[in-house]
Amino acid sequence: MSSGNSITTIRLSGELEISRKQEIRDALRRSSEDRAILIDLADVTYADSIALTELLRFCVSAQREAIPVALLVQTPQFARVVEYAGLAGAFKTFNDRDAAFTYLTVAGKE
Amino acid sequence: MARRVPAPLILTLAFLVFLIGLLLVGSLLVRSILTESFADAEQTRAARIVAADAMRAQLDEETGVRGYAATRDPILLAPYYEGMASLPRLLRRVRAAVETLRVREAVPLVDDAADTNRRWLARVANPLRAGKKRGHVLQLRGKILIDRFRIDMGAIDRLLAQDARLGDARAERAIAWANVFALGAVLAVAVASALFTIQQYRLGTRLEQERAKSEQQRRRSASMRAAFEAEKRIADTLQEAFAQRVLPELPAVRFSATYVPATEEAKIGGDWYDALQLSQDRVLLSIGDVAGHGIEAAVAMNKARQMVTSCGLVDPTPGSILECVNAELIADGSPMITAIAGVIDARTFEFAYAGAGHPAPVLLEPGRRARFLQVGSMPLGIDAGAAYPTHRVKIVPGAMLVLYTDGAIEHSRNVLEGETLLLEAVEAAAENRADDPAKAIRDGIFSRHRVSDDVAILTICFVEPVATAGAPNAAALRRTA
Repeated sequence: MSSGNSITTIRLSGELEISRKQEIRDALRRSSEDRAILIDLADVTYADSIALTELLRFCVSAQREAIPVALLVQTPQFARVVEYAGLAGAFKTFNDRDAAFTYLTVAGKE
Repeated sequence: MARRVPAPLILTLAFLVFLIGLLLVGSLLVRSILTESFADAEQTRAARIVAADAMRAQLDEETGVRGYAATRDPILLAPYYEGMASLPRLLRRVRAAVETLRVREAVPLVDDAADTNRRWLARVANPLRAGKKRGHVLQLRGKILIDRFRIDMGAIDRLLAQDARLGDARAERAIAWANVFALGAVLAVAVASALFTIQQYRLGTRLEQERAKSEQQRRRSASMRAAFEAEKRIADTLQEAFAQRVLPELPAVRFSATYVPATEEAKIGGDWYDALQLSQDRVLLSIGDVAGHGIEAAVAMNKARQMVTSCGLVDPTPGSILECVNAELIADGSPMITAIAGVIDARTFEFAYAGAGHPAPVLLEPGRRARFLQVGSMPLGIDAGAAYPTHRVKIVPGAMLVLYTDGAIEHSRNVLEGETLLLEAVEAAAENRADDPAKAIRDGIFSRHRVSDDVAILTICFVEPVATAGAPNAAALRRTA
C-alpha cells in the first residue's frame, strides 16, 4: 500500500483466489488516514468468489464512510468478471490509470 | 525413509577400534619389557651367586693351602682340591653370564681373576704345598694375589649389582608405562561410553520425534479422510437431490438441467438451480452459487434457494425477490451468494429476471447467434442497500435460454474464453436438437476441460410452433396467438 496526494493505492495482481485470501485481506486493510483509495487490479486476470467477496466488502465499507474508491481494471477477462459480478455497476471502474486518479483527486476534495 | 548408520556412531566405533589397537600394542610392548627385565634380574642374581661361589672357592683354596703349609696335614688340603676343581667352572659361568648380560666391563675382570688364580696356584699354592722355604714371602705374595682376586670379584659384583639396578629401573619404567596404558584404557572406555550414551540419547530423541510426527500425520490423514468423506457425502446428497428434483412441465416450455459436483472435493457444495411453477403459465426460476465450500456452503445454498421460493411467493417480481433474499441473508450473516432469479411467462413469452453478481444468462434465438443477456448488480449478502433492477426480455418461439453457474465458464480461469466456449456449446446443442440440452452443453464444454468447480446448468426451451406438433404445443400456440 502506498500513499501519495492523499490517494491510497492498493495493488493486487495475478489470479485472486481462495488460497490468497489472507494476503488479499491484509492488502485490503483500511486505515483511518485514507481519503481516497485506488484499488489497482491492472494485472489481475481472475478472481474467484472468495476474492470478490473481499473486494466487494472493502468497497462497500469505504463507500459507507463516503471514501471514494476507484477500481483500475485493465485485462479484458477480469473486466468481464467485474461487470457481471456487479462491481462495475456499484463502484467506479476505470481502465485508465490517469482517469482513475483524476476521479479520486476530484472526489477526494469534495 | 532410508535407514543410515549415523556418522557419530561410526566415529565412536572407529575411535574404539583405534584405542583397542593402541592398548593391545602398548600392553604387548610393556609385557616384553617386563619379561626381559625380569629374566635379566634373575640372570644377574644367579651370576652374583656364582661369583660369590668363585670367591668362596678361591678362599677355600687359599685356606687349605695355608693350613697345609702350617701343619702339613694332608686333610687340610681337601678344600684346596675342591676349590681347584670348581673354580675354573665357576669363573667360566661368571664370564658367560656377564657376556649374556652384556656387562662388558666385567669380562676383563673375570679374565683377570682367572689369571690371578692361575698365578696364585703356580707361584704361591704349588710352592707352599711343595714345602718351599721362605713361606712368609710366599704367603705375602699369596695375600697380594688373593686381594687382587677379591678386588676383581668385588668389582664384578658391583657391575652386576649396577646392571641389576638398571634392569629394575627398566622394569619400573615399563610398569609406569603399563599404568599409563591402563589409565588410558579406563579413560578410553569412559569416553567411548559417554559418546555411546550421547548417541543413544540422540537416537532416542530422534525416534521419539519420528514417532510423534508419524502419529501427527496419521491423525491428519484421518481427519482429512473424515473431511473428504464428509465432502463426498455432501456431493452425493446434492447430486441425489438434484437428480430427484422434478422440473415443471409446461406445454410451451421445456426444462432441462444438470448438476456436476466438483472433482476437487473441497469445492463441492454451493451451487443450485430451481424451477417452481407459480401458476399455469408462470414458472419461478433461480440459479445461484454460494461463495465457499463444504457443509457451510451447502447449508447456505439450501437456505438461499428456499428464500427465493418464499420471497417469490410473496412478490414474484425478480428484482423484489433478490432484494428480499438479500435483506434476509444480510440479517443472517450469510456468505456471499451470486444468483439469478427469473420468471418465465409461457403465455406472454416473456422472461423477467434480475441478477446478483451472477454470470449472465445466454439467450439463443432461432437464426441468430447465442448472446448474453444484460446483468450487473451486486452479489447477495454484501450490501443491504444494493438495488436489483428487473430486466424483461421477449422470447421468440424456438429460443433457448441458458442459466448456469460460474463453473461452466471459469474452468480455464479466463472468463472470456469460457464464455466463448459456452456460447459454442449452446449453439451446438440447439443445432443438434439435443434431447437433453443441459447435458449436451455440459458435455460440449467439458469434453476438453476438467470439472474443477461445481457446475449447474438449467436450460429453458421455448417450443418452436412450426417444428413441433401435438396437442400441448398446439395449446401453446393458441395461447401465444
